[in-house]
Amino acid sequence: MNLDDELRAALQREPAPVDFAAKVTAKTRTSKARVVPFRRRPAALALAAALALAALVPSAVYQYRQQRRAIQARDQLIAALSITKVQLQHVRERIQQNTRHKI
Amino acid sequence: MKTALILFAAIPAFAQQNFDFKLLDKLGANATGSTNITLEGDTLKLATSFLGDDTGSLKNLTGVYVRSYEFAKAGQYNEADLAPLRAYLKTLQWTKVVDVKETDETSEIYVHVLPNNRLGGLAIVSAEAKEVTVVFIAGALNMSDVGKLSGLGIPDIGLEHGGKKSDDSKKD
Repeated sequence: MNLDDELRAALQREPAPVDFAAKVTAKTRTSKARVVPFRRRPAALALAAALALAALVPSAVYQYRQQRRAIQARDQLIAALSITKVQLQHVRERIQQNTRHKI
Repeated sequence: MKTALILFAAIPAFAQQNFDFKLLDKLGANATGSTNITLEGDTLKLATSFLGDDTGSLKNLTGVYVRSYEFAKAGQYNEADLAPLRAYLKTLQWTKVVDVKETDETSEIYVHVLPNNRLGGLAIVSAEAKEVTVVFIAGALNMSDVGKLSGLGIPDIGLEHGGKKSDDSKKD
């Protein structure tokens, strides 16, 4: 057999096996069934958790800061009213003293 | 002419809301102790909202300012530094209701009286040898609210009766 005949024999067209189409279809179905649910993917879960945290943390931090700011402001207001009270009492005492002196 | 009149009328109204408390900072230059409180706008609303339900009257306040300085020795502040505040309190609808002067001590109380016998503000200027205190509370208050404030810190000194102390208490 010469080279031409060998090549012709090697490259000759052959029909596909009878069950080829069925095998391909079955393979496709199997690979679809193997899709891993979202809840079983640690990386995806971690990403989702990170996104949720990213959404919640700024809100929590803002609320915490607002509350701290409000408490500081309240303490300042109480201090201001306390100083006002002391000053008014002081003035009242001086008025009373001066009134007694006059009498 | 009309424009000029309107302009001059508007100046006190504008100035009324804008006393610059930084003008009092010079007072504390040599102070050994100081208390500076500035509460206004949202911060003041936050503060009053955290005080509880009995403080409805405080919700009308628009500003609370305290400047209090203590000094190690007498004469370490210049009383002239109080002049801008006193000038501000003289030019507007503020009324000096108490003025007590002694050798090295003066105390003044001013109220801003609004129509319908309402208080628009309260200011206290107390200058002693080693201590100077300014309290400035701005905002609409009913005379009866002053009594409510007593429970929080402001005692009754007779302001409910017409908004002014009797002339006997004045020592101008």
